[in-house]
Amino acid sequence: MEPVAIVGIDCRFPGAPDTGAYWDLMMRGADGVGEVPRQRWDAKEFHSEAGEEGHSNTTQGGFIADPDAFDDEFFTISPREAAAMDPQQRLLLQSAWRAVEDAGIAPRNLAGTSTGVFVGIMGNEWAQLHLTDYANVTAQLGSGNGYCMTANRISYHLDLKGPSLAVDTACSSSLVAAHLAVNALLSEECDHALVGGVNVALTPALSIFYTQAGLSAPDGRCKPFSAEADGIGRGEGVGVIVLRRLRDAIADGQRVYAVIRGIAVNQDGRSNGLTAPNRWAQQDVLGAAYRRAGVEPSDVVFTEAHGTGTGLGDMMEVKALGHHHADRAGKPMALGSVKGNLGHTEGAAGIAGLIKVALSLHHRVVPASRFAAKESKQLKLRDHGLRLLKAPLRLPAGPTVAGLSSFGMGGTNAHAVLESAPGHAARPEPVNGAAPGGVGAAVFTLTAPNADALRRNLLAQADAAAARRVPLGPLARSSNRVKAGHRHRFATAATDTGELVARLRESAAAPELLDRLSGRPAGRPRIAFLFTGQGSQYPRMTAGLYEQSPLYRHFLDEADAALLPHTGRSVRDLVLAGDAAVHSTRWTQPALFAVGYALGRTLMALGAHPGMLLGHSVGEFAAAVLARALPLDGAARLVAARGALMQELPPGGGMLSVKASREDVRQWTEQEPLVGLAAVNGPTSTVLSGDLEALERIGAKLAAEGFTTRELQVSHAFHSPLMRPVLDRFAKIAAEVGGGVPEIPVYSTVRGRVLDGEALDASYWVEHIGATVLFGDAATALLAEGPTHLVEIGPRPVLSGMVRRLDQPAAGAGPAHVLPVHGPESAGPALAEALAELYRGGVEPDWDAVYAPEDRVAHPLPPYTFSTEHRYWARNPVRAPGTAALATAPAAHPEPGTAPASVLTLDRPGGPADPVADAVLGAVRLVGGYTDVGPHDRLYEDLGFDSVMIMELKNRLEARLAGIGTLTVQDLLPRLSSVGDLVAFLRELGATVTGSVNFGTEENRALMEEERTA
Amino acid sequence: MTTATTRTTPTSYLASVGTALPGDPVDNATLSKVLGINEEWIEVFIGTRTRYFARDLGTGVVRWSLADLCAQAAERALAAPGVDPTEIEFIVLGTATPDTLMPATVNHVADQLGLDQIPTFQLQSGCAGAVQALGVAQSMIASGQYRTGLVIGGDVCSKHLDLQRDVSGAAPGDLVNYVLFGDGAGAAVLTDEPRGQGVALRHVLNRFTGLGRAPGQVIEWFGLADRYDDRQALIEDYKAIEESVPVMAVEILWEMLGELDWEADQLDYLLPPQLSGRMTRRITEELDVPTATDISCVADTGNNGNALPFLQIEKLLERMSGGERALAVAVESSKWIKAGFALEKM
Repeated sequence: MEPVAIVGIDCRFPGAPDTGAYWDLMMRGADGVGEVPRQRWDAKEFHSEAGEEGHSNTTQGGFIADPDAFDDEFFTISPREAAAMDPQQRLLLQSAWRAVEDAGIAPRNLAGTSTGVFVGIMGNEWAQLHLTDYANVTAQLGSGNGYCMTANRISYHLDLKGPSLAVDTACSSSLVAAHLAVNALLSEECDHALVGGVNVALTPALSIFYTQAGLSAPDGRCKPFSAEADGIGRGEGVGVIVLRRLRDAIADGQRVYAVIRGIAVNQDGRSNGLTAPNRWAQQDVLGAAYRRAGVEPSDVVFTEAHGTGTGLGDMMEVKALGHHHADRAGKPMALGSVKGNLGHTEGAAGIAGLIKVALSLHHRVVPASRFAAKESKQLKLRDHGLRLLKAPLRLPAGPTVAGLSSFGMGGTNAHAVLESAPGHAARPEPVNGAAPGGVGAAVFTLTAPNADALRRNLLAQADAAAARRVPLGPLARSSNRVKAGHRHRFATAATDTGELVARLRESAAAPELLDRLSGRPAGRPRIAFLFTGQGSQYPRMTAGLYEQSPLYRHFLDEADAALLPHTGRSVRDLVLAGDAAVHSTRWTQPALFAVGYALGRTLMALGAHPGMLLGHSVGEFAAAVLARALPLDGAARLVAARGALMQELPPGGGMLSVKASREDVRQWTEQEPLVGLAAVNGPTSTVLSGDLEALERIGAKLAAEGFTTRELQVSHAFHSPLMRPVLDRFAKIAAEVGGGVPEIPVYSTVRGRVLDGEALDASYWVEHIGATVLFGDAATALLAEGPTHLVEIGPRPVLSGMVRRLDQPAAGAGPAHVLPVHGPESAGPALAEALAELYRGGVEPDWDAVYAPEDRVAHPLPPYTFSTEHRYWARNPVRAPGTAALATAPAAHPEPGTAPASVLTLDRPGGPADPVADAVLGAVRLVGGYTDVGPHDRLYEDLGFDSVMIMELKNRLEARLAGIGTLTVQDLLPRLSSVGDLVAFLRELGATVTGSVNFGTEENRALMEEERTA
Repeated sequence: MTTATTRTTPTSYLASVGTALPGDPVDNATLSKVLGINEEWIEVFIGTRTRYFARDLGTGVVRWSLADLCAQAAERALAAPGVDPTEIEFIVLGTATPDTLMPATVNHVADQLGLDQIPTFQLQSGCAGAVQALGVAQSMIASGQYRTGLVIGGDVCSKHLDLQRDVSGAAPGDLVNYVLFGDGAGAAVLTDEPRGQGVALRHVLNRFTGLGRAPGQVIEWFGLADRYDDRQALIEDYKAIEESVPVMAVEILWEMLGELDWEADQLDYLLPPQLSGRMTRRITEELDVPTATDISCVADTGNNGNALPFLQIEKLLERMSGGERALAVAVESSKWIKAGFALEKM
């Protein structure tokens, strides 16, 4: 069969809260089994050493920690619904999210795809506890129970549209689920498949059953193939893996843990008994899996056995394996079972084994099997071509084949054949290697639904990055790709891992820093590029960026090559060499053009696409190229000619900056024919240009009037009448170059407004030489269009300051100023920080362009760390009918009825005396089970309301409010965007409050009662 | 160029190299300011321009351990194209300046790299340690039991850079210790078949030749019982070194060429011993292989012991093309150890 790759893993098992801990537990040969926690049931009550009727012979088992913790807010599930959900659903949901992240995929990117979900599950104890209390069966209880919903809930919350099903074949459930997933992938029913397994023990029923059937180990521990084996111990766990067809995984550069080469399922049929293991069926399923995988039994280096540690079960399994391996050449096949560490995790046993085998092949070492040292002599393993894993087995380099068995109590057997990932898939080749890239620093990003979650996850990432050496580029690139999709966006630039770790920790600790480095983009960003003109140049401008950023280098080289035929000397080399000639206009103009073009193209390649362009004077040429109004070669020719022609003009011209309005200076320029108004940069910021002596005369008069003036350091009087001699010659060249209508709106400093279908052609560029630079007008027009980001494109910031002096918005923050180059010291980190700022503001960068090709490899990051603040648990099983409490963590859920009032006063829309709002907030709180609801909360997105809850909300509102008649859901639906919206709507209807003011509290008590008995 | 038939062990290959130098380079002007040593004297008599220190010159704070530098270098070697970290089957580290006597630094390096369940070795040696590590790795691969290994060399000499000491009146022999050395690490991935850089490791020479001879260099270590002994931590017999190392280097060159059956004029590159800028220049002249390009780094990196061969190899790989040959010579003057290796790009 076509190989299927395991690309993502997440799990929790007894003594192991995550995948890394699971591996450590196995490598240390540690014991995950312990006393039954009080939270589950009173072990003593059900214990009898002799295994009397209705009792278990053990008080031990493998239990996972914190099965009650659930991050309902993350999934926008209301507390009430969360409390009504089988914990197995909650655990699977979190694990599924983490497994997808571990596969290097942002879970939101799977939304809407045909991804399949296959969950193996056999425990339904939550439903047995809750759905038998008929008087208290609520709507939530229905969807929260029944294991049919476990897979569907993952599909729902991750919006996955492929096959979604729960599989129950008893103890082989999750390996059978994997079998179905593999087949679905191979038949192209889906391109990604999530395979899960889960088991949480809520009642002692199965312990009692194992004891009564003579299968229960008194110490609660499975001792697979050991002389001391004396039965089964129960274990819990949850695991989810992500599967893909191997070729797809390789094509996408995903990290591959291991490959499933073959997998088979069969049944005992009418065997010795329904629950008796059957060696003939087992050996058949092994043979079928080997055949499907195309391997000889002797190719199999090790097998993870079902290995429950019951005398009969182990004997049957050894005989079935022996059928295939007894006469193998070379070393006996290594054998072990993780049940020795965890107990029998029942519905999750298949996934526990599958993850163990995948990790073993990934780490190239197979953990020792617990209790293997005292091997059972009776099993005669050696005669069956088997040896027990008494110590970790280091796997040799090259491909290794492994087997995995999982057998169901009812006779449904499954076996899988896995192989180590092919060399090139274990370590993916760089993706998209050909495209130039790299800004000279990395941008680390992380998103989360709220600030607390951001902090929690920043720390998790910092810890992982500090734990061992990790390459920064692949790490940051993976953060960009995987940690995306939530509302709060964190981004920071970094140049080495140590610096990044420190920054992440600082951000988690300091709210001001976190605030500065994170954003909550409200809408689509609108980016404007502002290109600087003459005066912003300096020797070695952007040299640091050129050295550090291959991407910028690529575009500056491109501009230089375009200029070279016209300049005769490399402008790039002149700039980088630090030649002071960059201040001669012959070189200034092409040099600024090259820098502007290169920086603009670099940002566009990074995914910052401008919707508006503005260039100050000569800055307009680069803007024209980016707007596709001029080809690069044509613009290069124009700029080179423009600079060279102006250089030829005789000296004696200068420029004077004046703190005065254009009206103030007009009377003076009218008197001097050799002086013109060169630029209007703002309401009281103008530049005069022309004959030096004439300027001096004007300057003296302006100073006498009390205006501040400043002589600009320029070689010539640009934008003045002194430029006239170059016009004819320039016009000839401009006519040859031509020019078209910009495809991106250009705010022209010649016209002082956006160009409206006007071409940037020869006549425009000729006019441009002598025209006043109407920067203030053009920028004002641009600002009126509401850009969110003004990116200054030039070797140092000049225009941002001018805009700030212009821009005095009545309210709001106005656009963000983004400076990819700060000045002479700027290099890769400044550009990376500019991109980080754009990302925080809502831009979706083309991340691959940030990184050099060799950094474009998948790097595993710790998956999302969920909040454990909220806890939900069932009543405990007891012998006789009686009362049981809904236990919730007091910190997260203060007594309803007391706390909410004080919380709600904080942001109640109508102030303290708004009974309608109070009533609505109270109703929303009750229906959702929230303690803290505000008017800005959105019913669907924030509070997780569904149609069932809306119906209940309608009923509660009708009961609480008078004057609204009979509400119909149709009336209500359009007004449910937020709680505040709902309040406004009800007020429009003329709602008043019925009954006592304490209604909410009363009703809360009622809810409490309801849930106590739920 | 045809491959010469040799009596050497089966070939193993250098797939990649990575190096790590701590912080920014420290130039002679800075060093003379901090230590009060004459800048011109350093330039003329030592000939080393810059070096790197794991210890902050201003505060004396240790910023990187040897393990940090070794792991950093190894990470770079492991990140190279054609190399897969999960295939690493053993690590050999050569160093004269371990972070602690126990655990051996190599194990901390493995930990930082996330490598587990593999044999690790640490060779206690000076300038020849890196070559010894290459030799051990080559033998392990030649045994057929291993296919891919990580070889590391590194030293943190700034442990003996006593910033409190006033050296203005010290004798030249004492001063040398302050200006000669630097810190750093290098690493290479060795494979059984050509991958990545695909440079064949043709021959490795390691030989103790110091029977009955006083050491040319001694680095002491102190324990609880003798920590207050008034012994010098670092002793060098510069006269003996200046006299013997060039002679030994020439012998190593010719012995290696003989073993390989290579003619001197077939050598494209020569990697001479890296004592100091000045000594290395002198030795290169005496080696007298004018057709081979000299690949040296000590003038810029300082003498950082077992990192040097890797820094040289890294520089070599930037320019080496298919069919070209290189020969490296190293001498450890402690107990007079001859070392060398030969490379040929496939």
